[in-house]
Amino acid sequence: MKFEEFPKPSWLVMNIRAVFGRAYPRIIGVNRELSWVFFETVLPLLGVAGYVYVYKALEAPAQYIGYVIIGGAMTAYWMNVLWSMAAQMYWEKEMGNLELYLIAPISRMSVLGGMALGGMFSSSVRALSTIFVGMVVFGISLSLPDPLMFTGIFIFTMIALYGMGMMFASLYMLWGREAWHMSSLFTEPIYLVSGFYFPVKGFVSMLGNPGFWIAAGASIIPITLGLDGMRQCLYPGNRDGFLPLWLELAILVALSVLFLFLAKYSLAYMENLGKREGRLTMRWQ
Amino acid sequence: MKALNDVNLTINEGELFGLLGPNGAGKTTLIKILCTLLLPTSGEAKVLGYDVQKETNSIRQKINMVSGGETSGYGLLTVRENIWLFSQLYGIPTKEANRRIEMLMKELKLEHKMNSKVRTLSTGLRQKANMVRGFMTDPDLIFLDEPTLGLDVNASRLIRDFIKKWMSEKPTRTMLLTTHYMVEADELCDRVAIINDGRVLACDTPQNLKRLIHQDAVLKLEIKQVAEVSAFRNIPGVRNFTHDQNIATGTTMLKFILDDEAAVADIVAAVPKSGSRIVSVEKTEPTLEDVFVTLVGRGLTNHEV
Amino acid sequence: MAVNTAFRNHNPSARKRNIDTFKCSAWLGWQMESNWTDPFLFAVYSIVKPIAGSLILVVMYAIISAIGGNNDPQMFYYMFVSNCFFMYVGQVLFGVAQIVHDDREHFQTMKYIYISPSNYLSYMIGRSVSKLIVTTFAVVITMAFGIFMLGIPLSLFSINWPLFLVVMAIGIFCIMAFGLALAGVSFLTAKHQGGMNEGIAGVFYLFCGVVFPVSTLPAWGVAFAKVLPITYWLELIRRSLDLGAGLDQALVGTSTMVCLLILVVSTIVFTVIALIIFKAGDTVARQKGLIDMTTAY
Repeated sequence: MKFEEFPKPSWLVMNIRAVFGRAYPRIIGVNRELSWVFFETVLPLLGVAGYVYVYKALEAPAQYIGYVIIGGAMTAYWMNVLWSMAAQMYWEKEMGNLELYLIAPISRMSVLGGMALGGMFSSSVRALSTIFVGMVVFGISLSLPDPLMFTGIFIFTMIALYGMGMMFASLYMLWGREAWHMSSLFTEPIYLVSGFYFPVKGFVSMLGNPGFWIAAGASIIPITLGLDGMRQCLYPGNRDGFLPLWLELAILVALSVLFLFLAKYSLAYMENLGKREGRLTMRWQ
Repeated sequence: MKALNDVNLTINEGELFGLLGPNGAGKTTLIKILCTLLLPTSGEAKVLGYDVQKETNSIRQKINMVSGGETSGYGLLTVRENIWLFSQLYGIPTKEANRRIEMLMKELKLEHKMNSKVRTLSTGLRQKANMVRGFMTDPDLIFLDEPTLGLDVNASRLIRDFIKKWMSEKPTRTMLLTTHYMVEADELCDRVAIINDGRVLACDTPQNLKRLIHQDAVLKLEIKQVAEVSAFRNIPGVRNFTHDQNIATGTTMLKFILDDEAAVADIVAAVPKSGSRIVSVEKTEPTLEDVFVTLVGRGLTNHEV
Repeated sequence: MAVNTAFRNHNPSARKRNIDTFKCSAWLGWQMESNWTDPFLFAVYSIVKPIAGSLILVVMYAIISAIGGNNDPQMFYYMFVSNCFFMYVGQVLFGVAQIVHDDREHFQTMKYIYISPSNYLSYMIGRSVSKLIVTTFAVVITMAFGIFMLGIPLSLFSINWPLFLVVMAIGIFCIMAFGLALAGVSFLTAKHQGGMNEGIAGVFYLFCGVVFPVSTLPAWGVAFAKVLPITYWLELIRRSLDLGAGLDQALVGTSTMVCLLILVVSTIVFTVIALIIFKAGDTVARQKGLIDMTTAY
C-alpha cells in the first residue's frame, strides 16, 4: 500500500476543501432523491399563495402581494438555516457522523459552511420558484433601480443569517430532541416579528412607539432588516420601509461580523462543554 | 459514576496496543478521550506528545478512528463519494484521495462496491468501507474500536490481515485496538492492557501476561450436560472456573484455573455429585482468556463464576 | 445458569392486540411529545407557537384596515377562527406522517414494529393521539387569547354545541385519514425537513377557506375547494360558533344540513382513498425494501 505524500495544504485551503466536501452530499443528495423538488418547491408555494389571497380578500394595495412573495422566497433560507444547518447537527450526531467531523483537523465552521452552501442550492431553487410564481401567477412587478444596494443587502443578510445559524448549531450539538422543538419554535414567532408576510413598519403604524421597539428588537434577526431592505429596493418610492436603506445595510454588515464572531466562540465553548460532559457523542436523547 | 479511574498507560510509537475488557469496562471512554472527543475530569492524557485538552488540532492532523458496528456517512452517497467527503476534511487532494480509496478498497476486497450507495451495503461491507475511511488519511495513530464486531469469519480474517499488513509496512505506525475477541488480541497485539470497571488490571505482551498464570494449571473437563454447577464451587485449590453449555453435543464444558494441582481429585469427585459423568479431561496451557478470567473474575461472555 | 424456556402460551385475539397496540403507542407518543423538557417550557412552547401564527394574521388585518382596506370585523373573525382550528390539520396531519420518518430513520424501530403481529394502523393512530391532545390545548389557548385580548365575541352560550361536537368528531376523523394517506407516501419518500412540514398542509390552507373566503380564489380553485371535506368542516365550525359565518359567497347558499351531508360523504370517500394509499405505500415499500432505509443527506 503506497500513500503518496502531498504538499500539506494551508489552513485556508484545507477548510475550503472541507466546505466543498460537506456541501457535496447535499447537492448530490437532492439530485438523487428528486422527491425534494415537490416537497421543497411546489408545496411551500401553496402556503405563500394563501397569504397572497388574504391580502386579496382584504383588498390590500398591490405591493403587499409582492411583499408576501419576497417574504415567501426568503422563508427558504430561514428554513435552511433552522432545519438543514442548525438542527442538522443533531442528526449528524444521531447518525454517528458528528464525531468524525470533530476528530478532523478542520474548523467546525467549515462543516457548517458546507451544509449551508449545499443547502443553499435547494433553498435558492425554492426562492426563485416562489418569485417566478409570484410574477407569472400573481402578476407582481418588481423594479430594481439600485442593484448594487440590493446585492449588498442580500449578501450581508445571508452572511449574518448563516452566522446566526452556526451559533444555533453549537447549541444543537449538545441537545437531543429539544433541538427539533427549538427549530419548530423559531418558525411562527419569527415569521411574526421579522415581518415575513408584512412590512415590519406595520408594527409602528399599529402600535406606535412600542411597535417601533418590537421592530427594532426583531432586527437582531438578520432576516428582518434583510427583508425590509429588499422590499425597499424592489418597491422603491413606497413608504413602508422601517429604516433608511443605508442604515439597514450598515446594521446587516455589523450583524454579519457579530454573528460570525459569536458563532466561532459559541462553537468552541459548546464543544468544550460537550467534551467535558460527554454529550457530544451521546445518542438517542 | 467514573468510567475510568486511575488509568496509567503508555503506548509506544510503532506499537499495536490492545485494550481488552468486558462491556462497560471503559474502553470506548478511553478512546474518546484520546480522540479529543471527551475531556478527562482529572489527570493528563497525551497523544503523539500533544495534550488532549490543549493541543487538539495537532492531534487531529495525525489520528483517525474506526468504530465497529456503526454506520457513518450518508446513505444516499456511493461508497467512493462518502469516503471522498471525509478525505476532504483532511485536505487530501481529490486525485490522491481517489487513488487511495481505490487502493484500500482493493486491499479490503470492496472494489466492486465502489459505486454502490452506502445504504445498500451489508454490515460487513459497511464496516470495510468504514475501515477505508479511517485508513485513507494514512494516520500516524489509528484507533480501532471493536473493528470486527458482528462480522463473519472471512471478513474478520480479512480485516485482521489488513491490520497486520498496515502495521508491518511502516514501523512508525501506531494502533490502539479494542476488542472482545481474545484470539484477535493474542494474534495481533504487541501489548495488551486488561481493563475492568475503569481500571487497568494488567498491561504487558500477551506472552508475558500468559506467563503470569503459567505456573497455574488449567483443567478442561467435559461432562454430560448439567443444569446446576454448584457442586464445582468453592473447591479448595481452584482459583477460578467458567462453564459453558454445548447444546449440540449435550455436554457442559468446565474450565478450572488451579492454584494447586491436587484439586484435580476433588474436581473429579464432584462430577458424580452434580449428577453427571465425565466425557473428556484435558490439561492445557493458559490462553489470554484464562488470564482475563483470572484477573477480572469472569469470562467475557459474562458467565457466572 | 439455567434458562427458563417454558413460556406460557400467549395468543390474544386480534382485537385485543390492536387495542393494546393503540394504548401502548398512545403512551409512547405522549412520552415523545412531552418529555423533552420540563412542563413549564412545554406549556410556553405550546402557547407561543400557535399564538404567534394567529398574530401574523392579526397584524396583516390591522395594517390593511389602517390604510383603508377591508375592515369588516366579520372578516377578521373568519380568519382568526378558521386559522385557529386549522391547527388540527397542520399538526395532526403532519404529525401522523412524521411518525414514519421518525421511526424509520431516527429511532430505527419501524422494522421491529412492522414484524410484530399488531396492526401498524392501530400503532399509527395511537401515536397521533398525543398530537391531538397537544393541538386541542393550543386551540383552546388561542381562542381564549382571541376572546380576551382581541375582543372576539364568543361565549359558551352562543355556541351551537351539538353541531360543534358532531362537526369536530367528523373533522378529526377526516384529518387523521389524510394523515394516513400521507404516511403511506412517506413510506416511499426520503426524509425531508421543513418542506413537507409546511407543504402538505399548504394545499388545505390555500383551498379550504382558512384565512380568506373560498370565493376569493379563481373559479377552478373554488371548484377544487368544494370537493375538499376540510372546506365544509371549517365552514361548519364557523357556523357553530357564529363567527365569520355567511361571509364566504361560495358557500353562502349551502344550508348547514347540506354542508354536514357533504362533509360526511366526502370524509367517507377520502378515508377509503387514504386507506388505499396507505396500503399501496406499505406494499411498495416492502416490495422495494424501503422499510428500514435511511436517506439523510
